[in-house]
Amino acid sequence: MKALSLSLLTIREAILKGTLLFYFIVGNLIILFFAAAVSGSMESGTLTITMFGSQLTPRGLEGFNPVEFLLRQLFQSASSAIMLFGIFATAGLIPSMLEKGTVELYLSKPLSRSSLLLARSFGACGGIGANILYFAVGIWAVFGIKTGIWHGNFLLASVVAIFIFLCYYSVVALTAVITRSTAFSIMIAFVFTLFSSALEVRQTTLYVWWENAFFHRFLDSLYYATPRISRMIDQAANLVGKDITTRVLAEQASAGFDILPFVYSFLSASLLYALAIVYFFRQDY
Amino acid sequence: MPILFGYFAHLQMSTVAISHLSKSFSSGLFRKSNIQALSDVSITVSKGEIFGLLGPNGAGKTTLVKILLSVVHPTSGTATILGQPMGSTGIRERIGYLPENHRYPSFLTAHQTLLHFGRLQGLSKHFLSSKASELLRVVGLEEWSRVKIKKFSKGMLQRLGLAQALLNDPEVLFLDEPTDGVDPVGRKEIRDILKGLRSAGKTVFLNSHLLSEVEEISDRVAILNKGEVLSVGTIRDITSHALEYEIRLGIAPSEPVLQKIGALSRSLETNQLTLTLALHAKEDLNKILQILLQEGMSIESVMPRKSRLEDFFINLIRTRENP
Repeated sequence: MKALSLSLLTIREAILKGTLLFYFIVGNLIILFFAAAVSGSMESGTLTITMFGSQLTPRGLEGFNPVEFLLRQLFQSASSAIMLFGIFATAGLIPSMLEKGTVELYLSKPLSRSSLLLARSFGACGGIGANILYFAVGIWAVFGIKTGIWHGNFLLASVVAIFIFLCYYSVVALTAVITRSTAFSIMIAFVFTLFSSALEVRQTTLYVWWENAFFHRFLDSLYYATPRISRMIDQAANLVGKDITTRVLAEQASAGFDILPFVYSFLSASLLYALAIVYFFRQDY
Repeated sequence: MPILFGYFAHLQMSTVAISHLSKSFSSGLFRKSNIQALSDVSITVSKGEIFGLLGPNGAGKTTLVKILLSVVHPTSGTATILGQPMGSTGIRERIGYLPENHRYPSFLTAHQTLLHFGRLQGLSKHFLSSKASELLRVVGLEEWSRVKIKKFSKGMLQRLGLAQALLNDPEVLFLDEPTDGVDPVGRKEIRDILKGLRSAGKTVFLNSHLLSEVEEISDRVAILNKGEVLSVGTIRDITSHALEYEIRLGIAPSEPVLQKIGALSRSLETNQLTLTLALHAKEDLNKILQILLQEGMSIESVMPRKSRLEDFFINLIRTRENP
C-alpha cells in the first residue's frame, strides 16, 4: 500500500511536470488525425482502406490486410517514439527523489530502499503506460469504428510495449541512482538505444572492427546482459501484423512471435534493477 | 560482569541509546581523503525527555540523526531506538522526523502532502483525513490546507514539516533545526508543541544551533564539535561553574571585610551588593558566610554561579580549538 502510494504520486508528478500532458495532447491529435483520415469499405468481398480518399494498397501484394498493415506501421513508429520521449519525460523522477531534503523524508519512512526505488520506477512506467494504453485504445477504437475490424492484437502489443518500456527504464534507474542527474540519465539512455541497435547487428557491423574472439564474446555478453529494445519492438509489431514493408510476399514475411527477446530482456532488466537497488542500499544521503 | 550487565540494561531502558558511533566519509579524487564526521559518540536519551544536540555548523549533528534514521550508514558503532536496532522498518513506524531543509512535492497542497506522507507511513486514508486537518490546525496552517505548498514561505514549510513528523503520533521525534526560518511567534508555538509532547511522554531529539531555544526547552543537552561529544548533561549541570558562587548582601561590605573574604578566595569581584567568588574548596564558602555574619552583614541569597548556555558553548568550543 505504501509503495502503491509512492507509485501513484510518481505518476501524478510525471503528469504535472507537463511533458506527459504534452504527449497526451499529441496522442489525441494523432487519434483525431486517423479518425478524420481513415475510412474503410467492402468492395466485392474485399476490404478497402482509404486515407484522405486515396486507396491504401501496397503494390504487388495480394491478400494482405490493410488494417494490419497500417496498425503495424503505426505501432512500430509510435512505440519507438514513445520509448525515447517516455525516457525524456520520466528520467528526472528518480533523481528528484534523491535530492537533498527529499530523500531523507522518504528514507525515514517504513519502506525499504528497494521498495522506494521500484515504486518510483514503476510509477514512472505507469505514467507512460497510461499514455500508451490511452493512445492504443483510441487508435483501436477509430479503426474498429471506421473499418469494422477490431484488432485485439494491437491492444495486446500495446501492453507488451509497456513491458518494453519497463525494461528500458532499468537503464535509467541504474544511471539515476549512480549519477543523481536527470540530464545524464537521459543521455545514457539515448546512448544505450544506439548501442543496443548496434549490438543487434553486431555480427555484420561491430565484429569487423576487431577480429578477436574475446572481443566478439564480450559483445555477445553485452547483448545478452542488456534489454533488447528494438528486437522486442519488432516482435511486438509481429503481434499486430506481418512485416510486408519490403514488398516481399506476405507468405515470406516474418510473422512469428519470438518470446526469447522478452525473456532475456526481462532477466537483464532485473539485473540492472538489482544493481540499482544494491547501489541505492549502499549510499549515504 | 555485573557492571557490563548494568550498562546494557541501561541502554535497553533508554529510548535512544547510541554506543560508540563513528562515521567517516571518503571524498576527493579516488576517495583519498577521509573526513571524520563522528568519533566514538555515545549518548542515551530517556523516555519523555527533550534532548538538545548542539554544535557549530559541520559538528556532525545532522549526520548523527541521519545515522539513527538509516539515511546514512555508520562506519562503526551501534544504536537502538525504543529497544530495537536503528534502521529497522518497525522502528520507523514509531518515529517522526523533520529533516533540515526538507523539500516536499511542490505541486501538492498542505493537506495532500500530509495524506501522501501518512500513506507512506502506513496510515489508513480514513484516519489520515481527520489527523491531517487536526495537525494543520495545531501548527497554524488550517487556512492554508488547500493551498499548493509552492506558495509557502520557509516558516510555513517548517510548520508543515512538523505536522508531517507528527502524523503517526510518534513515540520519538527527531527534529533537525525545526525553527529555521520561523518567526518569533511561530518559534514560541513550536516550543509549546514540543513541551506538550514532552508532557504526553514523547521523546524529542532536537538538533539546533539556536542555543537560547535549546536552553529554554531541553531537559538535557549534548555539545558536539568536529564529531566528538564535548559535554552531556542537564543545562544546570553543564553551565554551573565549579566552586563559583554569587552572594547577594543587604548592605555593601566594607574594605576590611572584602580583604578577609579575598584571602579565602581564588578570585573576588564586587558589584555593589553582589559578590562573585571563586573558591579553593567548598568548605571555604561556610567560612566566608561566617565572616559576613560576624561582621553584621545581612545575606539575601547564595547561588552557585551559572553562565548562559551560549557563553558556556562558545568557551567550550574555543578551548577545544585553541587548547
